[in-house]
Amino acid sequence: MSDKRSLDIFGRMILIRRFEEAVYDFHQQKLFGGHYHLYIGQEATGAAVMASLGPDDRIFSTHRNHGHLIARGADPKAALAEILSRADGTNGGRGGTFHLSDPSLGMPHTSALVGGAVPLAAGAGFAAKIAKSGGIGVSMFGDGCFEEGVVYETLNLARLWKLPVIFVCENNTPGAVLKSAGGNNTSNLPEGRVIATPQALGIKSHEVDGGDVQAVDALFSDCAERCRKTGEPIFIEALSERWPGNYYSYPDMVTGKTDVSMAWDDSGMSGDHEAWFREHDPVLRFARTLIADGAATADDVVAMDRRATESIDAAREFALASKPPGTQTVHAHVLAGGM
Amino acid sequence: MRTISYAEALAEAVCECMAEDSKVALVWGSLMGVGGGNEHVNRIKTEFADRIFHPPISEAAIAAIATGAAMDGVRMIFPMGTASFMFRAWDQIVHEAGAAHYMSNGRVTAPVVFHVVHGLRGGGSVQHSQSPQAMLWNAPGIEIALPSCPADAKGLMRTAIRSKNPTVFIDHQKLNRRTGEVPEGPYDIPFGVADIKREGGDVTIVAASLQVVHALEAAEALAGEGIEAEIVDLRSLVPLDEDAVLKSVEKTGRLVVADECPPRCSVASEVISVVAEKGMDLLKAPPRRVNRLPVHVPSNKDLEDFIGPSPDRIAEAARALCR
Repeated sequence: MSDKRSLDIFGRMILIRRFEEAVYDFHQQKLFGGHYHLYIGQEATGAAVMASLGPDDRIFSTHRNHGHLIARGADPKAALAEILSRADGTNGGRGGTFHLSDPSLGMPHTSALVGGAVPLAAGAGFAAKIAKSGGIGVSMFGDGCFEEGVVYETLNLARLWKLPVIFVCENNTPGAVLKSAGGNNTSNLPEGRVIATPQALGIKSHEVDGGDVQAVDALFSDCAERCRKTGEPIFIEALSERWPGNYYSYPDMVTGKTDVSMAWDDSGMSGDHEAWFREHDPVLRFARTLIADGAATADDVVAMDRRATESIDAAREFALASKPPGTQTVHAHVLAGGM
Repeated sequence: MRTISYAEALAEAVCECMAEDSKVALVWGSLMGVGGGNEHVNRIKTEFADRIFHPPISEAAIAAIATGAAMDGVRMIFPMGTASFMFRAWDQIVHEAGAAHYMSNGRVTAPVVFHVVHGLRGGGSVQHSQSPQAMLWNAPGIEIALPSCPADAKGLMRTAIRSKNPTVFIDHQKLNRRTGEVPEGPYDIPFGVADIKREGGDVTIVAASLQVVHALEAAEALAGEGIEAEIVDLRSLVPLDEDAVLKSVEKTGRLVVADECPPRCSVASEVISVVAEKGMDLLKAPPRRVNRLPVHVPSNKDLEDFIGPSPDRIAEAARALCR
């Protein structure tokens, strides 16, 4: 991976982290209600995947979509305004946290129904095949989707119809120890793993450490190239260590606001989440790699973090200032006009 | 004018649209298997082979694949077979296809054609006889077309394929082999424009799909008794041509609605609600619904015939209003 590519991906990761911290703050301040899902701890996978995708590609995400949008290049202002369901949001305030999408980025529709995004992405592959656009469909989804029958149907169809689509399953289910400690499991699968299902259907399938940016980038860039060339579906199981803040029904900032200096200064690392800071937090992990490889200095990391933080601070202001969509707009766009 | 079958008219519409637009794709399902229009079916098979897809039995995934493709400009026609099967894909039709335009604040469209065959077909029994139009009508964002004759089937199918919205196109098993006059060449029939299939001044009978055929038979019987019925064929439920219904009721003052859905929250209920809200003072008598009875569809032929809205039941309802 070139230094430029590494720094670009790190920039996306730290931007996601600061974005999600803002979402958490907004929810704590009761600025939006209901259930929501953060991408903290999985930034490596989303950022590395998006780095190999171009304008003709289409990405379909889930209820845990914020990181995918930001990694793809969504404007944090419009994305954060959508979290608050404001008029300037990506979806005009009609989607909220569950449905952030931006057709101008090739992310036309985000389904918050478990497994919903998987066949839609195959549909994007279908469209690319019909139009011979050279694009591919990409589905980002979690391991729980393998409990839904439509996912099996889709894998079968993608193979039968030779659809250019990459299925990226971010398996963030905790192991047995954490489950027994009371954490929510993300799926109820007898093996805890999902790769055997696409393999049984004859789909080329790979596994990767979803917290290892360079490994995800190397694998995904190769898969994207093969998918474009062969038009065949590919499956990736990205094994992700779950962020401790995601163990219960609502996110809890148990690891605190991220301090990037932990990448080179371990004096503050102790307590329940020491292993998380030392081994798993993908932002800290990649910062250490960048410094060790000489791609960046600690000062560079601090500077990138500052830029991300400033961007999110501006987005917070923008979102808070954005007006709610007026009730007079509620009837618009039930049906599209014309042919 | 030439006379062709309903099935042939449908095949012709699909064939024309595939020839006109290279983004139209077809799942090779029951639409092409109903018989009729062999030259069109053969042309589709050979000329557009790279745009036809043979499906496994996976209604949900195909419905969503069609929806995802539609968001990128492909117009997929997905014949799902018996309407009962679309329940497998309800989530994808209602939550993905039906919601895409609204949820994106108008930035995305998902123009898919979901084609199904509804109704009492003779021995379909409990799980192969559904009429899902009323349930679907409760889901925003989906157009619903219900033709009653070959000419309408062709024009409405062309509109369904060319529309920017997801459309559920609902045929009836007992219409496929019926014949009728169909104009030559391509023509579209817009949604939301009802058609007066018979004029009359005594009673309005609103219907769609096969019930239009039944209503026309009922009207013949009524005419022999000196009662002139006006038949309003809705042709589409979404959009609904409220004006045509109200205008006819204004003329006759009496309303019967024939509908193959069970009565509660049915097509008939909704049409009568519209008239109650917007034209109560036009009515000389309380309106009547003629629905499928509120039971499951039994396999026994006598029982199946008994529960459906028949020409006799429609005529009886109209007669009662005119007494």
